[in-house]
Amino acid sequence: MGKTDFKQLVSVEMRFVYADVFRRKSLLLMLVLWPYMITGFVLIVGSAVGNPQAFASRVGVDPAPFFIVSSFILMSTFVVLDDIMWKPIFDEEVGTMPYIVSSPVNRLMYYIAIPLPRLTLSVVIGLTSVVPVLTLYWGFEGFITSALVLLLGIFSALTFSPLATSVAMATYTYSGESWRLMNVLRPLLMVLVGVYYPRWVMPIAMYVVTALIPPSNSVELIQRLLAGIATVERSLMLLGVATALAVAYLPLTKLSVLRWERSKLKEGVKV
Amino acid sequence: MSIAVEARNLFKKYVTKKRLGLIRSVTEYVEALRGVSLNVRHGEVVGLLGPNGAGKTTTIKILSTLLLPDSGEAYVEGFDVVREADKVRERIGIMLTVEKGFYNRLTGRENLEYFGALYGIPPKILKDRIDKLLNLLELDKLGGSDRLFEEFSLGMKARLSLARALLKDPPVVFLDEPTLGLDPPSARKIRLLVKELAREGKAVLYTSHNMFEVEIVCDRIVMINKGRIVAEGSPEELKSRIPKVRALEVHLREAPNHIINTFKEMGLEVSQYSQSSEETYVLKILTKNPEEVVDDVVKVITSAGLDIVKFKLEEPTLEDVFIYFAGDSSG
Repeated sequence: MGKTDFKQLVSVEMRFVYADVFRRKSLLLMLVLWPYMITGFVLIVGSAVGNPQAFASRVGVDPAPFFIVSSFILMSTFVVLDDIMWKPIFDEEVGTMPYIVSSPVNRLMYYIAIPLPRLTLSVVIGLTSVVPVLTLYWGFEGFITSALVLLLGIFSALTFSPLATSVAMATYTYSGESWRLMNVLRPLLMVLVGVYYPRWVMPIAMYVVTALIPPSNSVELIQRLLAGIATVERSLMLLGVATALAVAYLPLTKLSVLRWERSKLKEGVKV
Repeated sequence: MSIAVEARNLFKKYVTKKRLGLIRSVTEYVEALRGVSLNVRHGEVVGLLGPNGAGKTTTIKILSTLLLPDSGEAYVEGFDVVREADKVRERIGIMLTVEKGFYNRLTGRENLEYFGALYGIPPKILKDRIDKLLNLLELDKLGGSDRLFEEFSLGMKARLSLARALLKDPPVVFLDEPTLGLDPPSARKIRLLVKELAREGKAVLYTSHNMFEVEIVCDRIVMINKGRIVAEGSPEELKSRIPKVRALEVHLREAPNHIINTFKEMGLEVSQYSQSSEETYVLKILTKNPEEVVDDVVKVITSAGLDIVKFKLEEPTLEDVFIYFAGDSSG
C-alpha cells in the first residue's frame, strides 16, 4: 500500500471527468458544438475583413477545414493546460486539496494523469467535428487525414503536459492560484502554439521561440498535412523535437510541482 | 502503549497582510502556536480542547503534513512530519471539515475510490474496504453509496469523511471537530466509532470545543488556549486539580428569604437564589467542604419548616476546568 498505480489513477480521473460531463448534459452539448461555433465565428469575421481565397492562397488550405482542425487542436491541447491549471483552484474551492496534499500519491504521476481523461473526450469531439468536415471536403483522403489529425492532436496534448504543468505550478508558486492569471496565459500560449497562425508564416525569431513549446511542432505537422506540404523527413523531425522537448521538461515539471507544494505548506493548505 | 504522535515545542506564526486601501498593505503576524508539546499513544483518544483560534487546527495541520512549523519537531510513528512527510502520509487518516472535501458530481463510493487511488490502495482491497466502511458507518443504509455527494445531508457527509480517514486503515487518525453541526444520531455514531478505533489500537487526536463531547470520548485531554497548552490530563485528573469550591444546589418549595442570614452566620456563601421554571426556589451554597456542611444545611432548612424538593451536589465541569486554567478571556 502507498505505491501509486498510474493505471488506477487514470481510471479514477476518468470517472471524475466523465461524471462531470455525462451528469451535466449541457456541458456535453457545448463540447460537441464548440469547434463548429469557433469555426463559424472565425469564418464570419474572416469574410468580413478579407476573403477565403486570399487565406487559401497564403496558407495553402481552405479556411473551413483549417479552422475546424485548429479548433480541435486548440481544444485537445489546451485541455491539458486548463485541467492542470484549473485542478488546484477547484480542489481548494471544494476542500479536497488537504486530502490530496496529505496523500502519498506520486505528484508527477498525478499531474500527468489529470488531463488524460479529457483527451479521450477530445477524440469524441474530433469524431464529431474533424472527421465529418474533412471527409466532406476531401473524401476518403480527408477521412485518412482526419484520423492522423486526431492522433496528432492527442500527441500534441501529451507533449504539452510537462511544460503546461511547469508553467501552471510556477505561476501558482509565485503569484498564488488565480483564474485571472490563467486568462492572461492562455491566449499568449495559443498564439505561440501556432494554432490559428501557422508557424511557417511567422517571423523567424518568433518561430524559434515557438519551437521550444512541444505542441507547436506537432501543430505545424498537422497544418503541413492539411496544406499537402508534409515531407517524411520534416514530419519525423517535428515529432522528434516535440518528444525530446517533452522529456526534457519532465525534471522541471517535478521541481515546479514540489516547489508549489512547499509554498502551500509554508502558508498552510486551506481547509 | 507506545507513542504514536509526538510534538515538541511547536511554534507557528501566520503572516497576514492588512489592506490599507487599494495598493498599500502592512504585514501582520499572528502567533498561532507558542511552544506546543503533546503526545498521543496507540489505543488512546486524546482530545485537543480549546476555543476557536486557540491553535487546534494549526496543530492538526502540522501533524498531518499540511503546514510547516516555524520551529519545533513533530513525529508520527517515529517519522518526522517535515523531513519524512511521505512516510507520515502513508500512516495517517485525516478528517478536517465535515461539510466539504469531496467532489459533488461523484457518488459516495466513487469519491472513496478516487481517494483510495491517491492513497495507493490496490483496487481489489479498496473495493472490500469501501464496502466494509459504508456498512460500518451505515452509509449504505442511508443511500450514500450511490447518491451524489451534493445530495448528502451534513450527517452523511461527516460519515463519508470519517470513512475516507479510515480508508487505508491507518494507525493514526486526526479528527478536527468531527461532529460540528451534526444531528445527534450522526454525532453519537461518530463518537462511538472513535472510541472503537482506540480499542482497535489506533492513536486518535480529536479536536473540539465541545466540553461534553471531549469528556465522553477522550481518555486524555490537552487544553490549548492562545497557542499554548494550559492543562493536560484525564478528565478526572483535570477536575481534581481545580480548587475544591463546589456548589450545593437545593430546590425548595417556598422562598428561603428568612434563612439566608443563618447560612451567612455559619460562614457559608450563598451564591444564587432564584425561582426555577418548575416553580421551585433554587438556593446555591458554595463551599470547599460540602460533605461537612450538608447536615447543617439540611437541619437549618427543615427546622425553618421548608420542604426540600431536590438536593444535589454539583461537580466541577470541564468548562470550569478550562476557565480556571485559561482564564475568562479565552474567546
